[in-house]
Amino acid sequence: MKTDIKKLDELNRREFIASAAKACLGVGLLPMAGSYIHHSAKALTPGSRPATARYVIYLNMTGAMSHLDTFGTNPDAPEIQGPTKSIQTSADGVILSENLPLTAKHMHNSAIIRTMSTSQGAHEQASYLMHTSYLKRGTIAHPTFGSWVSKLSGGINNTIPSNVQIGSNPAGAGFLESRFGPLPIGNPAAGLANSKLADYIDESRFGGRLAMAQKMNSSYSEKYDQKQVRAYSDLYKDAVKLMRSEDLKAFDITLEPEQMHELYGTTNFGQGCLLARRLIENQVRYVEVSRGGWDTHDNNFESVATNCADMDKALSALLLDLEMRGLLKETMVVLTSEFGRTPKINERDGRDHWPYGFTAFLAGGGIKGGTVYGKMDEVGRNPAEGKFVDPASLNATIAHAMGLPLNDVQYSPSGRPFTVAHDGNPLFDVLA
Amino acid sequence: MAGRWGGIFLVYLSFLCLLLGQETFRTFTTSSGQAFIGRALSYKGQTFYIEGKDKKLYPVPFKQLSSLDQKYLIAIAQGGKIPEGDPRTLKQDSTPPEETAVSDSAVKEEETKAKKPAKPKPSFRSGSFFAYKPINLGQDPSVALAAEKVSVLPGPDEAIDFKQHVLPIMEERCFSCHNAPYDKNGRTIHPKAGLRLDTYEWVMKGNLDNTVVEAGNLADSYLHEVVTLDEEDDMFMPPKGGPLSAEQIDVIKRWIEEGAKESAGGGGEVASSDMSKGISFHDHIFPLMEERCLDCHSEPYVKNGRTIHPKAGLRLDTYDSIIKGNLDGTIIEKGNADESTLYAVITLDSDDPEIMPPKGDPLTEEEISMFKQWIMEGAKENPSDTFEKPNEEVAVSLDTRGEPKEVSMLDQLAKRLKAPSKPQMEAAQKSGALVTLLSTRHSMVRAEFSSGPTLIKDDAIGALSGIKNNVSHLDLSRTSVTDNVLGEVKKFNNLTWLNLKNTSVTDRGIQNLSKMPYLTYLNLVSSKISDESINTLASLKTLEEVYLWNSDVSAQGVNQLRKALPHAKILH
Repeated sequence: MKTDIKKLDELNRREFIASAAKACLGVGLLPMAGSYIHHSAKALTPGSRPATARYVIYLNMTGAMSHLDTFGTNPDAPEIQGPTKSIQTSADGVILSENLPLTAKHMHNSAIIRTMSTSQGAHEQASYLMHTSYLKRGTIAHPTFGSWVSKLSGGINNTIPSNVQIGSNPAGAGFLESRFGPLPIGNPAAGLANSKLADYIDESRFGGRLAMAQKMNSSYSEKYDQKQVRAYSDLYKDAVKLMRSEDLKAFDITLEPEQMHELYGTTNFGQGCLLARRLIENQVRYVEVSRGGWDTHDNNFESVATNCADMDKALSALLLDLEMRGLLKETMVVLTSEFGRTPKINERDGRDHWPYGFTAFLAGGGIKGGTVYGKMDEVGRNPAEGKFVDPASLNATIAHAMGLPLNDVQYSPSGRPFTVAHDGNPLFDVLA
Repeated sequence: MAGRWGGIFLVYLSFLCLLLGQETFRTFTTSSGQAFIGRALSYKGQTFYIEGKDKKLYPVPFKQLSSLDQKYLIAIAQGGKIPEGDPRTLKQDSTPPEETAVSDSAVKEEETKAKKPAKPKPSFRSGSFFAYKPINLGQDPSVALAAEKVSVLPGPDEAIDFKQHVLPIMEERCFSCHNAPYDKNGRTIHPKAGLRLDTYEWVMKGNLDNTVVEAGNLADSYLHEVVTLDEEDDMFMPPKGGPLSAEQIDVIKRWIEEGAKESAGGGGEVASSDMSKGISFHDHIFPLMEERCLDCHSEPYVKNGRTIHPKAGLRLDTYDSIIKGNLDGTIIEKGNADESTLYAVITLDSDDPEIMPPKGDPLTEEEISMFKQWIMEGAKENPSDTFEKPNEEVAVSLDTRGEPKEVSMLDQLAKRLKAPSKPQMEAAQKSGALVTLLSTRHSMVRAEFSSGPTLIKDDAIGALSGIKNNVSHLDLSRTSVTDNVLGEVKKFNNLTWLNLKNTSVTDRGIQNLSKMPYLTYLNLVSSKISDESINTLASLKTLEEVYLWNSDVSAQGVNQLRKALPHAKILH
């Protein structure tokens, strides 16, 4: 027992060397270099069906977007609808809220699920369920959908990670190897943190340091020419490769022309979407961009309109830009939130948490454009048309379009079986 | 004590009487449905002599009889109730008793071949403790086992038999690592590289990486490759005990070249008599499904107010649902057992968590081989009279919901082609391309230069020429290719999707594309294409999507193109 406790704090030799190298050689490079770069080389695995969506951009409206004032308006029920009006879109018979005039022009490429439902009414748990298809449990950390993509299908560009998270970070790789987890980018304008040389170190000095490290290592690596030893020096090579790689430019949105920045909007979310498009162009498989500010318990209608101005602009710019570049057919854009907001308008002119009948907007690759699945009844509690669609089924729909094997079982360290979309079934009504 | 012996003697006597007694008349049915009444008199090889009510003698091939009759005949032949030989000659000789005894053992030997599909006694799974030959205490195992092995080298013109010629080589040189998993000091020792070479099925199945034997194709057979490598090579097999002898390598080589059959001279891959007349879905497959699969894979039903859906969304209760498979794809590849998920899951190790059925014993060898043959015969609903070539193309009707139109056109292209082999894929990736199959069941590939594209020059495409007919998607975007590359690209006949975004390709290069027969997607975003290319593009009537944004094409040019290709989506 005593020895066990001692072991807990002991840094093993490998960890010690790793941290020492990071600290001394100035290669703290990339926050999680150890877990990402080296392994990004997992080869792309074809699925059992040809993928209709090779890439996914998941726009996560954190805080729970009011579905009634965005993608799920119901003009037949004025009592719950409040002051928000509906407008016609580019798809016949499909209506959107007046807050989304720009997105309305892309409805012929898009589909809406209007009967999403979740079993969770608290933000964190619901967001976890949306991302992992599993309920949050104390005993296990489930991988996010993007991590499943990396794990099951692999990356296309092997210089940069295939799973990127812009904005807040709900969960990681879970029980999967950390290398499959999302590469977090806090501020889209800043790009990839710690991937450049410090100002006071020029190329020659950096080269000198590397050469010296190599010289010091040489006798050891010659003596122990083993896989693990080689892997460690490969890690440095890969890190340096990425530092000097042109692919690193994928993270640098300052290279975009001014009108592009304006098209997407200069807000954090707009710039995040612009970065997402750059990453997709560089063949990152899964990018999530999150936007907060949707928890409108008070003053719902004004806040939603403000949020939508930004979201509508960025979303429509993203769809337009992807289409112009010939990327939309292979890229699925998903916009949803962890749950919806109450049909009943509260006394503070706000809407509270409501897990029934919120919406998921899907566009582009693999999606049957101009379709709407389901309709809620006039009190917004039960489906009037269609059935409830749970988070797992939304994920199954995305996974199906990406060609991921829905039945591929991955085992947690304790041997419990998990699949990419849990018990979800793809919703074929919205798939092309 | 004496009484007991007497009793046994009596039993023996009555057994002898039975032995020489005549079989009774019964109805025999052929697998084509004809029935006649007769009694079995004797048999010779695979032919049974059956006397009809009209006292005429009918020699009937064993294979033509229904499986029930076959079981019956095996039982009586094994029980020694009918003698071996032509009854006409037997009658003349009036069969002396000693001879019956002699032929009796011959019967057994003959029958061990014939009875394989309908083995009545339980067989031990390979790898099971009981499957090993017992060695007496004090005896040297190597000597005892060596005595078992007779010289196995075949004559120069003899056809190679797997069990007789190939398996002994495996046993001698491969089994120590590539055998069934076994327990050692409480740990399960799995076969190295997940590859088992202890039965025909395992050898043909290969491991997770790939198959190791390609029937008739020596170059693609990894098994042959590794034993013929340079001894210094990392992958050289066997790693210990020196290389195989030249004769042994020759045996493996000839075996593969002869089609890697289980038994020499056998027509198909499955050497069985029971089923060589064709497996019937309704008579053979469905009853087994009913017994072992339908508990979980049946139509949804309501239990305690809850709807119980079939597991894995897979229904096996009708022929159509079996062929359809589930969301992950089909479970049966007609004519190809190894590619069929259904076959894969029933042949997994019994301790594999994914083995099917998950409860009860694994399927027996004969049940498995029945499935295999059914699939090899094209997984038909009705039994076939003729044994089909396993590689013959079979029309597959699939639910294509969720698959875009382009894919079905691609599928048509893909049907004409064989998927590139592993070495071909590796060779194609030499110059930095990522080459992947569109799906695991597809023979078409996508080639893209994703990582560090600016380092990619015109010559990089050369590596792809080996598989150029398989390339349906080619992504050259952001690379440093020039017009010259399109001179090569035009040779990729089956190309449907071409991306030249952000390249320095000009009108001169685009001219090369005028004869591309299947091109549906062309991306020329941010390229140097001008109105001069419009005529070339207009001639490509298969185009469905053309992307010209940020190129030098004018609005006028785009209008001209839109008129020429009214159905295409043209973005500018």
